[in-house]
Amino acid sequence: MAIVSLKGLTKKFAETAAVKDLDLEIGDGEFVSLLGPSGCGKTTTLRLIAGFLQPEHGEIRVNQQVISSPSLLVPPERRNMSMIFQSYAVWPHMTVFQNVAYGLKFKKLSSNESEKKVERLLQLVHLETLRGRYPAELSGGQQQRVALARALVVEPQILLLDEPLSNLDANLREEMRFEIRRLHEEFRITTIYVTHDQAEAMVTSDRIAVMHQGRVIQVGAPEEIFERPRTSFVAEFIGRTNILRGRLDHSGKLVLGEGLVVQAAAQESYPREAEVSLCLRPHNISLVGSASEAQEWQQKGYNLFSGVIRRRTYFGDTFDYMVELPVDRLTLRVIAPSSRRYELGQKVFALAHPDHCVVMGQG
Amino acid sequence: MEAVGRLRVGSWRGIRTLDRTLPVWIGASLFLIFLMLLPLGWILVASFRGEEGWSVGGYVQVFTEKAFLRAIWNTLIISFWVGVIAVVIGSLLGWLVTRTDLPLKRTIRALVMASFVTPPFLGAFAWTLLAGPNAGLLNKIYRSLTGSEEALFNIFSMEGLIFVMALYSFPYVFSMIANVCELISSDLEDAANILGASMWRVALTVTLPLAAPALLGGFILAFLHSLSLFGAPAILGLPASVHTITTQIWALFQYPPRLDLAAAFSVPLLLATMLLIALQKKILGRRGYSTVGGKGGERRLLHLGIFRIPAFVLVLALLSLSVFLPYWILLKAALAKAWAQPLTWDNFTLENFKFAFFQYGDTQAAILNTFKLGILTATVGTVVAALIAYITNRQLLWGARYLTFFALAPLVVPGIVLAVGLFLAYARPPFVLYGTIWILFIAYLTKEMPIGFSQAETTFKSIHPELEDASRILGANRLVVLRDVTAPLARAGLIATWCFIFIGVIRELSASILLFTPKSKVVSVVIFDLKEEGQIGVIAVLGILLLLVSFLVILAVQWAARGEILATRE
Repeated sequence: MAIVSLKGLTKKFAETAAVKDLDLEIGDGEFVSLLGPSGCGKTTTLRLIAGFLQPEHGEIRVNQQVISSPSLLVPPERRNMSMIFQSYAVWPHMTVFQNVAYGLKFKKLSSNESEKKVERLLQLVHLETLRGRYPAELSGGQQQRVALARALVVEPQILLLDEPLSNLDANLREEMRFEIRRLHEEFRITTIYVTHDQAEAMVTSDRIAVMHQGRVIQVGAPEEIFERPRTSFVAEFIGRTNILRGRLDHSGKLVLGEGLVVQAAAQESYPREAEVSLCLRPHNISLVGSASEAQEWQQKGYNLFSGVIRRRTYFGDTFDYMVELPVDRLTLRVIAPSSRRYELGQKVFALAHPDHCVVMGQG
Repeated sequence: MEAVGRLRVGSWRGIRTLDRTLPVWIGASLFLIFLMLLPLGWILVASFRGEEGWSVGGYVQVFTEKAFLRAIWNTLIISFWVGVIAVVIGSLLGWLVTRTDLPLKRTIRALVMASFVTPPFLGAFAWTLLAGPNAGLLNKIYRSLTGSEEALFNIFSMEGLIFVMALYSFPYVFSMIANVCELISSDLEDAANILGASMWRVALTVTLPLAAPALLGGFILAFLHSLSLFGAPAILGLPASVHTITTQIWALFQYPPRLDLAAAFSVPLLLATMLLIALQKKILGRRGYSTVGGKGGERRLLHLGIFRIPAFVLVLALLSLSVFLPYWILLKAALAKAWAQPLTWDNFTLENFKFAFFQYGDTQAAILNTFKLGILTATVGTVVAALIAYITNRQLLWGARYLTFFALAPLVVPGIVLAVGLFLAYARPPFVLYGTIWILFIAYLTKEMPIGFSQAETTFKSIHPELEDASRILGANRLVVLRDVTAPLARAGLIATWCFIFIGVIRELSASILLFTPKSKVVSVVIFDLKEEGQIGVIAVLGILLLLVSFLVILAVQWAARGEILATRE
């Protein structure tokens, strides 16, 4: 059992706050990603959880017990956590076996017992044949596996990962994402994973916490974050998107401009007359050429935007269009199957289901 | 995984949550601050202390009495010319070795290293045998060749002193220039070549200006080095009645000692050193110097053409002045019954070795003391330097970066000034160390701290902090991390630290000369004493011993560094 809760966490470096008043609950056995651009405070948050840093305000609890606060800091070595580092931090003066076995030294196990555990982990990460090698003789991916095995062999209560894949090449990175998820399904250790790569977070996580300027701005399952972003920062950081500014009218409809009114989802959480933004993913928009077809869709409840094709890019299976709307020179990016083809300057109708038109706060 | 790990929450309250290694860090820091502040504080206090109460009388006397002013003036003249000559020789050699196709470059580097390792007082002594006005070997050769009655050289003179000090100061400039030349990429020079400049013109208009800050920095370094030397001026200057600041301070310590004047005289030397180091930092820190660096482009070597062999001969001639001739005369003096006669079988003897190692009590005790102090200081010094460097590098304590200042402070304190301070601090209660080898230990520890600290700091910088974090999170406290991860990874660097301190200690004279007592002599002091007695053979034996041990230790560093390459390969 390890439930981690961060409350009002604040950490400053030279008067600028790296982490500001951060709240986050992580359930037992849950895999949560801290996702954000560099400098958003995600690594600082992780190092706060690990106990390498002490917060100026707020506290960290594990199973209700305070382990970090401005007045108390349980040192990292007594937190029963494991961590995987961006640089792998595999010790160059120890063999693969010695690296993996290191953490068990502090666990008071018989040497027989610990050897078994190490062997098992080495098998699990496919390193059993390399046990006698030194890290200098391993590839980056193999070193990463050593780091994984070393972190898991001690059966930690909480596993922390700090951009563990960012130093690997693209193919290996993709493979290791699944590997990390597989190991999580196997061990179900409460895991906190720091990354700036949305795909990594999507593949591995139960929930994603998007961070921006030292704060968590949205937490949720990957689909939820993607489909219901709460701010334009989240929408833009995860996936491509159109963002249009507008205002809610008295009936909850979204007014984007003169005569451009949209039926949108998630508007309930905002007051009437609020200034908001619309998030509309390019692949959730369909294009049709004929007015009558467009009207049919509109009657089924779809939102209709009429406009003119201004740019077209061919991507093999899709076209990437830019459609200019007649209102305020607004543009929509649309990704549509390449089976249908529209020409530059052609008048088209863009259709989007209200469920895909997500109202967000501005900012 | 079964839920094995339960958080050990119960024991987390109160004092137990404190980092248990904290006392080690705080202890080391306080020790360092104490070590540095005590002697310097005493110098300041003593310099304002007249016979009755506070006064500035000491300063007034130092800056009005002719003899003192003369010593200051001599010091400035000597240091200036030493700086100039060292820059000429050092930069010429540095450039030739890094940027041209000079033959046997590695050997030349090794020989420059040998000049660097040779204690200047030993070089000065050897040069008294080579160019003393009467018995000096070179003068004898000159007389027998020309039939003249005159001496060609008189090493006991201002010029002789400048010459010898420059020979042992130029390696400082050399290493600076060589470093810079290695950083200037050929691209920069190519750019000028393409514009039509000739090879020599490029060297003059591009390479030289790029190296200018290093030249100036090197000049200041050589200037500072000669400012703080005691042995060479004492051996070569005093017979010619040329006093420098350091020999004057030493003289003030002779009976009847005038500690107030010595202290007052130390302060200007201290201030001058501080000023110059600040100046040097500013010059080297300016933009341009570092932007030359980076990985930028490869370097091509300049083809010297017909100058290749003459240049090589010139280099060998220069190095024979600092290495070959002195070493040869020392060896000869050590092995000969009469050092001034040719070394034939009749003149050959091992008596000097026997006498130095087995018969003469003073030298035996001194050798023992020197190596005892060398090992002790190097060991304690490495531990303290490593702890301090670790604290500053990993920011373990609040205000850790100020510790750097304390660790480097002795850089600005000439050895003899430090000795004045230590004498004042440790010759009275509560710390009565004078008369034992412990005051020497403290002196060496203080004096070698900057070298030890810089070396250790470089070492720790190369170890990624995450390597340590990885150990901590798995259950190791800070000290265990040091043992399991940091120390093994820093091993080669720390061995080098140990060796540098050791070499520094066994050759130390300028602080020892004020702090030794008959019961606590060291080799350098004995050499200085034996000089008065004319025991030339024994001095040569001791000198050779110092040199041999130093070279062995340097080989050990290189051996350790080779091991390092394997460990840090990633």
